[in-house]
Amino acid sequence: MTSAVPLKLIEVSKSFGSLQALKPLTLGIGGGEMLALLGPSGCGKTTTLRIIAGFEAPDTGQVVIGGVDVTDLPPNRRGLGMVFQNYSLFPHMSVGANVAYGLRMRGVPAAERTARVRRILGLVRLEQYEDRQIHQLSGGQQQRVALARSLVTNPSVLLLDEPLGALDKNLRERMQFELREIQRRLGITSIIVTHDQEEALTMSDRVAVMAEGRIVQVGPPTEVYEHPRTRFVSEFLGTANIFSGIVADRAGPRSWSVALDLDRSPRSLVESDEALAAGHRVLLAVRPERLKLGPPEADGIRARVQDVVFRGSYFAYELAVPGSPGPVFAYAQAREAVPADGIVGVSWGAGGAIVLRDAP
Amino acid sequence: MSVDVEQAPAALAALPARRPGGPYRLARSTWTVPVLVFLGFFFVIPLGANIWRSLATGDALTQGAFVFYGKLLGDAYYAGILYETFKVGVIATALSLVLGYPVAYFMVRHAGRWNGVIVFLLIAPLLTSIIMRTFGWRVLLARRGPVTMLLHDWGLIARPTNLADDPVAVYVALVHVLVPFMVLSISAVLQQVDVRLEESSRVLGAGPLATFFRITLPLSLDGVATGCILVFVVTNGSFLTMLLLGGGKVTTLSLLIYQQFNVAQDTGFAAAMGNLLLFVALACLALQARFLRRQGIRP
Repeated sequence: MTSAVPLKLIEVSKSFGSLQALKPLTLGIGGGEMLALLGPSGCGKTTTLRIIAGFEAPDTGQVVIGGVDVTDLPPNRRGLGMVFQNYSLFPHMSVGANVAYGLRMRGVPAAERTARVRRILGLVRLEQYEDRQIHQLSGGQQQRVALARSLVTNPSVLLLDEPLGALDKNLRERMQFELREIQRRLGITSIIVTHDQEEALTMSDRVAVMAEGRIVQVGPPTEVYEHPRTRFVSEFLGTANIFSGIVADRAGPRSWSVALDLDRSPRSLVESDEALAAGHRVLLAVRPERLKLGPPEADGIRARVQDVVFRGSYFAYELAVPGSPGPVFAYAQAREAVPADGIVGVSWGAGGAIVLRDAP
Repeated sequence: MSVDVEQAPAALAALPARRPGGPYRLARSTWTVPVLVFLGFFFVIPLGANIWRSLATGDALTQGAFVFYGKLLGDAYYAGILYETFKVGVIATALSLVLGYPVAYFMVRHAGRWNGVIVFLLIAPLLTSIIMRTFGWRVLLARRGPVTMLLHDWGLIARPTNLADDPVAVYVALVHVLVPFMVLSISAVLQQVDVRLEESSRVLGAGPLATFFRITLPLSLDGVATGCILVFVVTNGSFLTMLLLGGGKVTTLSLLIYQQFNVAQDTGFAAAMGNLLLFVALACLALQARFLRRQGIRP
């Protein structure tokens, strides 16, 4: 339906008064790719989207869509589709008129308009709703109308601004898959802005994690999750236990042993593609599901179980480790839980810990 | 803000139909007695008296009780007055709308923290008495007044003339007083129109003008209707502006009432005209209520 169009941001920056909302940012999005801009509120992700849409003019830099510099074009001449968080459906028009709006603005003849509206409403499974009024629809239906309205004009790029934020949890998960499926089928280049890490990981080909007006890390969801570069990324994407320590010795071709500041015994293994030198301070992130709980006498960090919660497929532990500033979290898939106040030994395999790039 | 429509009736049903009137209830219906007494004495009774006064008595009764109304609606001269009243109301309303809408739009969309300043500037003129304001216009528009001299210096008029005592002066003064009502009515509704609707329209390919006429204007029609009816009704009721600035060239119904009461002392006929004016105002309000209902459910 749509030929995939790449999008490029070149050195784009934006300030509001004295606040630098976006530091010079360069980002390429391939044709047909779904990229998630993920970050806490105020990180610049929405500003980035609004600059692409043309609602904000960047202070510096260029927006290039399909090889054409659109930086100075108004929003109505960029050929984009956009879905807003509150759907932004026109309340004084029927479902059909909402979807037809973009075609009407492009001067598409009435007969073709009707056919295209029908077809796109079929795609989002709302064929029979063409004559309904907006306020007669549920949240999920409104969301699908908004999607249909943005897709009917065959936009080159689809912008999604927290598109599922207003839906309840079950519906949101279903819509994540549905939206992803439609995006793949149409092969449309898409950017989704979200603060929900699960949504970003589920829906995108690549995730760009943003903080304080710049992109901290870009990569496929698994890579960003498994190999976060900074403490911020590791903690924003899921839960991470942070340990600091000193590299003690080389333990293998790609692994080193690290003496943690907690107990100073050089036994914790770390894998790294980059060479580490003995005596270097490092900051480690360990995902809760990578932590292994064993008997206290085994080789590991001694910890006391503060709390244990059954989460269906696993037990979530909150552990108190002497010398650690905060609690350590561990998820274990054992048949039986270690009760509260039990003493355990915490350890991880060589691939379990990630060396962060932050200064320790 | 956006309530799931399917859930709304259930949520409403869950609420008790009326708040229980327990011992802790603060508001009591007896508290309305003073204001009801006041309104009874100074609103209901005078209105009733006016209706009574408008009906013929004595000698005139031979032509029927509604002789004054018959004269008002049948006589060509008074039909002319009614037409003049209607014309002045429509022109003043149209001018206020054309001047007020852009101001309201600017206030809501672009003024930001200056919004309060604009509201103050709009309301400030209303704090001076209407007589002071009208005489102010007389001074400004007088033969040797600043406006006249300026227009003369620019070559827009051949020689200084008295611009007061002219229909134009009446419209200028009316719009001056009425624009704030229009601006505030429109901006109150415009504030409810989500700016993202306009942005959606732009992304979908509509230019600024198409977006205004297809999205912004239709969604702010409630405010436009309220403002227009307000301005129209207030114009119908005002006579000081016509009296002091019209130079006898703008005779509307309200001005005629004033003259009938004070000059001709024909209170019966004046009362009939007053009731007609009141009827027009009520009809306008009914029209507005109907219009608002037709718009249906709107968040």
